[in-house]
Amino acid sequence: MSKRITIDPITRLEGHGKIEIFLDEEGNATNAYFQIPELRGFEQFCIGRPVEELPRITTRLCGV
Amino acid sequence: MAKLKLGVYWAATCGGCDVSILDTHERVLEIVEAADIHFWPCATDFKVKDVEAMDDGFLDVTLFNGAIRNSENEHMARLLRRKTKVMVAYGSCSAFGGIPSLANFTTREAILKKAYETTDSTVNPEGVRPQTSTEVEEGNLTLPRFYDHVYKLSDIVPVEYIIPGCPPPSDLLMTAVEAIVSGNLPPPGSTIAGKKTLCDECPLEKSDHPKISTFKRRFEVIPDGKTCFLEQGLVCMGPATRSGCGNACINANMPCRGCFGPAEGVKDQGAKMLSALASIVEFDDEDQARDLLAELADPAGTFYRFGASDGLLSPKYKQGSEEEAKAEGAKVS
Repeated sequence: MSKRITIDPITRLEGHGKIEIFLDEEGNATNAYFQIPELRGFEQFCIGRPVEELPRITTRLCGV
Repeated sequence: MAKLKLGVYWAATCGGCDVSILDTHERVLEIVEAADIHFWPCATDFKVKDVEAMDDGFLDVTLFNGAIRNSENEHMARLLRRKTKVMVAYGSCSAFGGIPSLANFTTREAILKKAYETTDSTVNPEGVRPQTSTEVEEGNLTLPRFYDHVYKLSDIVPVEYIIPGCPPPSDLLMTAVEAIVSGNLPPPGSTIAGKKTLCDECPLEKSDHPKISTFKRRFEVIPDGKTCFLEQGLVCMGPATRSGCGNACINANMPCRGCFGPAEGVKDQGAKMLSALASIVEFDDEDQARDLLAELADPAGTFYRFGASDGLLSPKYKQGSEEEAKAEGAKVS
Protein backbone atom coordinates (compact mmCIF):
# COMPACT_ATOMS: atom_id res chain seq x y z
CA MET A 1 0.00 0.00 0.00
CA SER A 2 1.52 3.31 -1.05
CA LYS A 3 1.59 6.29 1.21
CA ARG A 4 0.19 9.65 0.28
CA ILE A 5 1.19 13.17 1.35
CA THR A 6 -1.28 15.97 0.67
CA ILE A 7 -0.12 19.59 0.73
CA ASP A 8 -3.25 21.73 0.90
CA PRO A 9 -3.16 24.58 0.32
CA ILE A 10 0.09 25.65 -1.24
CA THR A 11 0.81 28.89 0.58
CA ARG A 12 2.46 32.27 0.12
CA LEU A 13 1.49 32.71 -3.50
CA GLU A 14 -1.54 34.17 -5.27
CA GLY A 15 -4.19 31.61 -5.92
CA HIS A 16 -5.14 28.14 -4.84
CA GLY A 17 -3.06 25.04 -5.29
CA LYS A 18 -2.80 21.53 -3.93
CA ILE A 19 -0.07 18.89 -4.27
CA GLU A 20 -0.56 15.15 -3.86
CA ILE A 21 2.63 13.12 -3.46
CA PHE A 22 2.56 9.32 -3.60
CA LEU A 23 5.31 7.29 -1.91
CA ASP A 24 6.21 3.64 -2.29
CA GLU A 25 6.76 1.24 0.62
CA GLU A 26 10.35 2.40 1.04
CA GLY A 27 9.17 5.98 1.35
CA ASN A 28 10.42 7.13 -2.04
CA ALA A 29 8.25 9.46 -4.10
CA THR A 30 6.77 7.61 -7.05
CA ASN A 31 4.56 10.33 -8.46
CA ALA A 32 3.21 13.79 -7.64
CA TYR A 33 0.22 15.72 -8.88
CA PHE A 34 -0.10 19.49 -8.82
CA GLN A 35 -3.72 20.64 -8.92
CA ILE A 36 -5.31 24.05 -9.36
CA PRO A 37 -8.72 23.87 -7.68
CA GLU A 38 -9.87 27.34 -8.76
CA LEU A 39 -11.46 28.94 -11.80
CA ARG A 40 -13.43 32.16 -11.96
CA GLY A 41 -14.14 32.41 -15.69
CA PHE A 42 -12.80 35.83 -16.71
CA GLU A 43 -12.38 34.30 -20.19
CA GLN A 44 -16.16 34.20 -20.50
CA PHE A 45 -17.59 36.91 -18.26
CA CYS A 46 -15.43 39.68 -19.76
CA ILE A 47 -17.23 39.14 -23.07
CA GLY A 48 -19.78 41.90 -23.58
CA ARG A 49 -18.19 44.27 -21.07
CA PRO A 50 -17.09 47.68 -22.45
CA VAL A 51 -13.48 47.44 -23.59
CA GLU A 52 -12.50 50.56 -21.66
CA GLU A 53 -13.64 48.87 -18.46
CA LEU A 54 -11.41 45.84 -18.88
CA PRO A 55 -8.35 47.43 -17.27
CA ARG A 56 -10.51 47.81 -14.14
CA ILE A 57 -11.94 44.29 -14.39
CA THR A 58 -8.96 42.16 -15.39
CA THR A 59 -6.77 43.72 -12.70
CA ARG A 60 -8.82 41.49 -10.41
CA LEU A 61 -7.26 38.39 -11.96
CA CYS A 62 -4.43 38.82 -9.49
CA GLY A 63 -4.10 41.51 -6.85
CA VAL A 64 -0.88 40.32 -5.24
CA MET B 1 -5.34 41.14 27.60
CA ALA B 2 -4.70 37.90 25.76
CA LYS B 3 -3.78 38.31 22.14
CA LEU B 4 -6.56 37.86 19.64
CA LYS B 5 -6.45 34.84 17.37
CA LEU B 6 -6.80 35.94 13.76
CA GLY B 7 -7.54 33.99 10.60
CA VAL B 8 -7.45 35.30 7.05
CA TYR B 9 -8.77 33.30 4.13
CA TRP B 10 -9.32 33.78 0.42
CA ALA B 11 -12.00 32.03 -1.60
CA ALA B 12 -12.78 33.20 -5.17
CA THR B 13 -10.68 36.34 -5.15
CA CYS B 14 -7.56 37.96 -6.53
CA GLY B 15 -5.49 38.34 -3.36
CA GLY B 16 -5.81 42.13 -3.41
CA CYS B 17 -7.62 41.96 -0.07
CA ASP B 18 -4.69 40.10 1.45
CA VAL B 19 -2.33 42.73 0.10
CA SER B 20 -4.58 45.46 1.52
CA ILE B 21 -3.75 44.09 4.98
CA LEU B 22 -0.10 44.72 4.17
CA ASP B 23 -1.04 48.15 2.83
CA THR B 24 -1.34 49.18 6.47
CA HIS B 25 2.49 49.42 6.17
CA GLU B 26 4.13 49.93 9.57
CA ARG B 27 0.70 49.82 11.26
CA VAL B 28 0.70 46.09 10.50
CA LEU B 29 2.85 45.98 13.66
CA GLU B 30 -0.20 47.18 15.61
CA ILE B 31 -2.18 44.29 14.14
CA VAL B 32 0.40 41.65 15.07
CA GLU B 33 0.80 43.23 18.49
CA ALA B 34 -2.93 42.77 19.08
CA ALA B 35 -3.37 39.47 17.30
CA ASP B 36 -1.58 36.24 16.51
CA ILE B 37 -2.16 34.96 13.00
CA HIS B 38 -3.31 31.32 12.98
CA PHE B 39 -4.26 30.93 9.32
CA TRP B 40 -3.45 33.08 6.29
CA PRO B 41 -2.57 31.13 3.13
CA CYS B 42 -1.31 34.21 1.27
CA ALA B 43 1.33 35.01 3.87
CA THR B 44 1.81 32.07 6.27
CA ASP B 45 2.19 28.32 5.95
CA PHE B 46 -0.74 26.95 7.95
CA LYS B 47 -2.68 24.18 6.22
CA VAL B 48 -6.36 23.27 6.10
CA LYS B 49 -5.64 20.39 8.52
CA ASP B 50 -4.40 22.97 11.06
CA VAL B 51 -7.79 24.69 10.88
CA GLU B 52 -9.59 21.37 11.15
CA ALA B 53 -7.60 20.63 14.32
CA MET B 54 -8.73 23.86 16.03
CA ASP B 55 -11.47 23.75 18.65
CA ASP B 56 -14.74 25.29 17.54
CA GLY B 57 -14.70 29.05 18.17
CA PHE B 58 -10.91 29.00 18.55
CA LEU B 59 -10.37 31.97 16.24
CA ASP B 60 -11.58 35.32 17.55
CA VAL B 61 -11.81 36.92 14.12
CA THR B 62 -11.59 35.69 10.54
CA LEU B 63 -11.23 38.13 7.68
CA PHE B 64 -12.80 36.14 4.85
CA ASN B 65 -12.23 37.53 1.40
CA GLY B 66 -13.48 36.14 -1.88
CA ALA B 67 -16.78 34.92 -3.22
CA ILE B 68 -18.15 31.37 -3.03
CA ARG B 69 -17.56 29.98 -6.50
CA ASN B 70 -16.97 26.27 -5.88
CA SER B 71 -17.44 23.55 -3.28
CA GLU B 72 -14.01 24.15 -1.75
CA ASN B 73 -14.88 27.82 -1.12
CA GLU B 74 -18.14 26.72 0.52
CA HIS B 75 -16.41 24.03 2.60
CA MET B 76 -13.83 26.54 3.86
CA ALA B 77 -16.53 29.12 4.63
CA ARG B 78 -18.43 26.57 6.74
CA LEU B 79 -15.25 25.25 8.39
CA LEU B 80 -13.97 28.71 9.31
CA ARG B 81 -17.43 29.77 10.50
CA ARG B 82 -17.35 26.89 13.00
CA LYS B 83 -13.87 27.83 14.18
CA THR B 84 -14.52 31.59 14.41
CA LYS B 85 -16.31 33.84 16.88
CA VAL B 86 -16.50 36.95 14.66
CA MET B 87 -16.73 36.38 10.92
CA VAL B 88 -15.93 39.39 8.75
CA ALA B 89 -16.83 39.53 5.06
CA TYR B 90 -13.71 41.38 3.99
CA GLY B 91 -13.83 43.01 0.57
CA SER B 92 -16.44 43.25 -2.16
CA CYS B 93 -16.23 39.63 -3.38
CA SER B 94 -17.05 38.27 0.04
CA ALA B 95 -19.60 41.01 0.77
CA PHE B 96 -21.48 41.21 -2.55
CA GLY B 97 -19.88 38.75 -5.00
CA GLY B 98 -17.40 41.24 -6.44
CA ILE B 99 -15.88 40.99 -9.90
CA PRO B 100 -16.13 37.14 -9.91
CA SER B 101 -19.92 37.52 -9.59
CA LEU B 102 -20.03 38.99 -13.11
CA ALA B 103 -20.06 35.28 -13.96
CA ASN B 104 -23.66 35.28 -12.76
CA PHE B 105 -24.52 36.88 -16.11
CA THR B 106 -23.33 33.72 -17.84
CA THR B 107 -23.47 30.01 -17.11
CA ARG B 108 -21.15 27.40 -15.75
CA GLU B 109 -21.29 25.53 -19.06
CA ALA B 110 -20.34 28.65 -21.06
CA ILE B 111 -17.39 29.33 -18.72
CA LEU B 112 -16.08 25.75 -18.84
CA LYS B 113 -16.44 25.62 -22.62
CA LYS B 114 -14.64 28.93 -23.10
CA ALA B 115 -11.86 28.28 -20.59
CA TYR B 116 -11.12 24.68 -21.53
CA GLU B 117 -12.06 24.48 -25.21
CA THR B 118 -12.50 27.63 -27.23
CA THR B 119 -10.11 30.40 -26.21
CA ASP B 120 -7.57 31.18 -28.94
CA SER B 121 -4.74 29.85 -26.79
CA THR B 122 -6.43 26.57 -25.84
CA VAL B 123 -5.37 23.31 -27.48
CA ASN B 124 -7.67 20.60 -26.18
CA PRO B 125 -8.94 18.48 -29.10
CA GLU B 126 -10.40 15.84 -26.78
CA GLY B 127 -12.32 18.44 -24.77
CA VAL B 128 -10.84 17.32 -21.46
CA ARG B 129 -12.34 19.17 -18.51
CA PRO B 130 -11.58 19.11 -14.77
CA GLN B 131 -13.33 16.29 -12.94
CA THR B 132 -14.36 16.30 -9.30
CA SER B 133 -12.95 12.79 -9.02
CA THR B 134 -10.23 11.18 -11.12
CA GLU B 135 -8.76 7.71 -10.73
CA VAL B 136 -5.02 7.62 -11.34
CA GLU B 137 -2.67 4.68 -10.99
CA GLU B 138 -1.74 5.65 -7.43
CA GLY B 139 -5.21 6.48 -6.17
CA ASN B 140 -8.02 8.99 -6.42
CA LEU B 141 -7.59 12.72 -7.05
CA THR B 142 -10.31 15.23 -6.29
CA LEU B 143 -11.12 18.77 -7.33
CA PRO B 144 -13.88 21.07 -6.06
CA ARG B 145 -17.18 21.24 -7.88
CA PHE B 146 -17.56 24.42 -9.94
CA TYR B 147 -20.95 25.93 -9.11
CA ASP B 148 -23.39 27.46 -11.57
CA HIS B 149 -23.84 30.50 -9.34
CA VAL B 150 -21.45 32.77 -7.46
CA TYR B 151 -22.55 33.40 -3.88
CA LYS B 152 -21.60 36.06 -1.40
CA LEU B 153 -20.34 34.77 1.96
CA SER B 154 -23.56 35.60 3.84
CA ASP B 155 -25.53 33.36 1.43
CA ILE B 156 -23.61 30.44 2.92
CA VAL B 157 -22.86 31.28 6.58
CA PRO B 158 -23.88 34.00 9.07
CA VAL B 159 -21.54 36.99 8.95
CA GLU B 160 -21.05 39.48 11.80
CA TYR B 161 -19.48 42.40 9.91
CA ILE B 162 -18.83 43.63 6.40
CA ILE B 163 -15.76 45.63 5.45
CA PRO B 164 -16.40 46.55 1.79
CA GLY B 165 -14.10 47.69 -0.98
CA CYS B 166 -12.08 46.32 -3.84
CA PRO B 167 -9.86 46.18 -1.92
CA PRO B 168 -10.89 47.69 1.43
CA PRO B 169 -8.80 50.78 2.22
CA SER B 170 -6.32 50.11 5.03
CA ASP B 171 -7.89 52.92 7.11
CA LEU B 172 -11.10 50.91 7.37
CA LEU B 173 -9.19 47.81 8.41
CA MET B 174 -7.44 49.78 11.15
CA THR B 175 -10.80 51.18 12.28
CA ALA B 176 -12.05 47.62 12.59
CA VAL B 177 -8.90 46.42 14.36
CA GLU B 178 -9.15 49.27 16.88
CA ALA B 179 -12.83 48.49 17.46
CA ILE B 180 -12.08 44.79 18.01
CA VAL B 181 -9.13 45.45 20.33
CA SER B 182 -11.05 48.00 22.42
CA GLY B 183 -14.13 45.77 22.48
CA ASN B 184 -16.04 48.77 21.14
CA LEU B 185 -17.62 46.93 18.24
CA PRO B 186 -20.69 48.17 16.37
CA PRO B 187 -23.80 45.94 16.51
CA PRO B 188 -23.46 42.67 14.57
CA GLY B 189 -24.70 43.09 11.02
CA SER B 190 -22.96 46.45 10.65
CA THR B 191 -20.93 47.48 7.68
CA ILE B 192 -17.70 49.14 8.73
CA ALA B 193 -17.62 52.09 6.31
CA GLY B 194 -19.67 55.26 5.75
CA LYS B 195 -23.44 55.28 6.08
CA LYS B 196 -24.28 57.71 3.29
CA THR B 197 -23.69 57.54 -0.45
CA LEU B 198 -20.44 58.47 -2.11
CA CYS B 199 -22.37 61.29 -3.81
CA ASP B 200 -23.03 62.84 -0.40
CA GLU B 201 -19.30 63.14 0.23
CA CYS B 202 -18.10 63.81 -3.31
CA PRO B 203 -16.11 67.03 -3.71
CA LEU B 204 -17.14 67.58 -7.36
CA GLU B 205 -19.56 70.39 -8.19
CA LYS B 206 -23.18 69.41 -8.69
CA SER B 207 -26.12 71.40 -10.01
CA ASP B 208 -29.25 71.62 -7.90
CA HIS B 209 -31.34 70.01 -10.61
CA PRO B 210 -28.99 68.12 -12.90
CA LYS B 211 -30.25 66.95 -16.27
CA ILE B 212 -28.43 64.76 -18.74
CA SER B 213 -29.45 64.07 -22.32
CA THR B 214 -26.53 61.92 -23.43
CA PHE B 215 -24.37 59.12 -22.05
CA LYS B 216 -20.71 59.15 -22.99
CA ARG B 217 -18.17 56.39 -22.67
CA ARG B 218 -15.02 57.04 -20.71
CA PHE B 219 -12.79 57.25 -23.81
CA GLU B 220 -15.05 59.81 -25.50
CA VAL B 221 -14.47 62.59 -23.03
CA ILE B 222 -11.76 63.92 -20.74
CA PRO B 223 -13.55 64.81 -17.49
CA ASP B 224 -12.82 68.38 -16.39
CA GLY B 225 -11.94 67.31 -12.84
CA LYS B 226 -14.42 69.79 -11.32
CA THR B 227 -17.92 68.88 -12.43
CA CYS B 228 -20.02 65.87 -11.39
CA PHE B 229 -19.26 62.98 -13.75
CA LEU B 230 -22.94 62.31 -14.36
CA GLU B 231 -23.45 65.89 -15.52
CA GLN B 232 -20.62 65.29 -17.98
CA GLY B 233 -22.53 62.28 -19.32
CA LEU B 234 -20.32 59.67 -17.62
CA VAL B 235 -21.99 56.96 -15.57
CA CYS B 236 -20.75 57.27 -12.00
CA MET B 237 -22.10 54.86 -9.37
CA GLY B 238 -21.77 57.51 -6.64
CA PRO B 239 -25.53 57.98 -6.07
CA ALA B 240 -25.97 54.25 -5.34
CA THR B 241 -22.73 53.42 -3.55
CA ARG B 242 -21.76 53.50 0.12
CA SER B 243 -19.26 56.15 1.19
CA GLY B 244 -16.10 55.47 3.17
CA CYS B 245 -13.57 54.80 0.42
CA GLY B 246 -11.93 58.21 0.71
CA ASN B 247 -13.17 59.06 -2.82
CA ALA B 248 -10.19 57.21 -4.27
CA CYS B 249 -11.50 56.92 -7.85
CA ILE B 250 -13.06 60.39 -7.89
CA ASN B 251 -9.75 61.88 -6.76
CA ALA B 252 -8.08 60.11 -9.69
CA ASN B 253 -10.65 61.69 -12.05
CA MET B 254 -12.41 58.37 -12.57
CA PRO B 255 -16.13 57.79 -11.99
CA CYS B 256 -17.12 55.46 -9.15
CA ARG B 257 -17.75 51.85 -10.15
CA GLY B 258 -19.56 50.91 -6.98
CA CYS B 259 -17.16 48.59 -5.13
CA PHE B 260 -18.47 49.65 -1.68
CA GLY B 261 -21.90 48.20 -2.42
CA PRO B 262 -25.23 49.80 -1.57
CA ALA B 263 -25.52 52.56 1.06
CA GLU B 264 -27.10 51.90 4.47
CA GLY B 265 -30.67 50.65 4.19
CA VAL B 266 -30.53 50.11 0.41
CA LYS B 267 -31.29 46.56 -0.65
CA ASP B 268 -30.35 46.71 -4.32
CA GLN B 269 -27.48 48.82 -5.60
CA GLY B 270 -28.31 48.41 -9.29
CA ALA B 271 -31.96 49.30 -8.83
CA LYS B 272 -30.93 52.34 -6.81
CA MET B 273 -28.63 53.43 -9.63
CA LEU B 274 -31.36 52.91 -12.20
CA SER B 275 -33.66 55.05 -10.09
CA ALA B 276 -31.00 57.78 -9.74
CA LEU B 277 -30.41 57.87 -13.49
CA ALA B 278 -34.11 57.87 -14.28
CA SER B 279 -34.51 61.01 -12.19
CA ILE B 280 -31.90 63.00 -14.12
CA VAL B 281 -32.18 61.88 -17.76
CA GLU B 282 -33.95 64.27 -20.09
CA PHE B 283 -35.89 63.23 -23.18
CA ASP B 284 -38.99 64.34 -25.09
CA ASP B 285 -40.42 61.09 -26.37
CA GLU B 286 -40.00 57.35 -26.31
CA ASP B 287 -37.69 57.30 -29.32
CA GLN B 288 -35.30 59.69 -27.62
CA ALA B 289 -35.47 57.63 -24.44
CA ARG B 290 -34.64 54.50 -26.42
CA ASP B 291 -31.69 56.22 -28.13
CA LEU B 292 -30.44 57.46 -24.77
CA LEU B 293 -30.65 53.97 -23.29
CA ALA B 294 -28.72 52.58 -26.25
CA GLU B 295 -25.85 54.93 -25.40
CA LEU B 296 -25.53 53.29 -21.99
CA ALA B 297 -22.87 50.60 -22.44
CA ASP B 298 -23.45 47.37 -20.49
CA PRO B 299 -25.96 48.64 -17.90
CA ALA B 300 -26.25 45.35 -16.00
CA GLY B 301 -22.48 44.85 -15.82
CA THR B 302 -22.06 48.47 -14.73
CA PHE B 303 -24.81 48.65 -12.10
CA TYR B 304 -23.86 45.26 -10.62
CA ARG B 305 -20.13 45.44 -11.32
CA PHE B 306 -19.22 44.34 -7.80
CA GLY B 307 -22.55 43.01 -6.65
CA ALA B 308 -24.04 40.39 -8.92
CA SER B 309 -24.42 38.03 -5.92
CA ASP B 310 -26.32 40.67 -3.95
CA GLY B 311 -29.57 42.59 -4.09
CA LEU B 312 -33.06 41.85 -5.24
CA LEU B 313 -32.79 42.23 -9.00
CA SER B 314 -29.28 40.86 -9.44
CA PRO B 315 -29.10 37.69 -11.48
CA LYS B 316 -30.43 34.75 -9.54
CA TYR B 317 -30.49 31.19 -10.65
CA LYS B 318 -30.39 30.51 -14.32
CA GLN B 319 -33.04 28.37 -15.82
CA GLY B 320 -32.82 24.81 -14.60
CA SER B 321 -29.98 25.48 -12.23
CA GLU B 322 -31.87 25.84 -8.98
CA GLU B 323 -32.11 22.07 -8.61
CA GLU B 324 -28.42 21.91 -9.26
CA ALA B 325 -27.77 24.53 -6.60
CA LYS B 326 -29.83 22.56 -4.12
CA ALA B 327 -28.08 19.36 -5.11
CA GLU B 328 -24.83 21.15 -4.41
CA GLY B 329 -26.12 21.78 -0.91
CA ALA B 330 -25.86 25.55 -1.24
CA LYS B 331 -28.33 27.70 0.59
CA VAL B 332 -30.75 29.20 -1.93
CA SER B 333 -31.19 32.80 -0.86
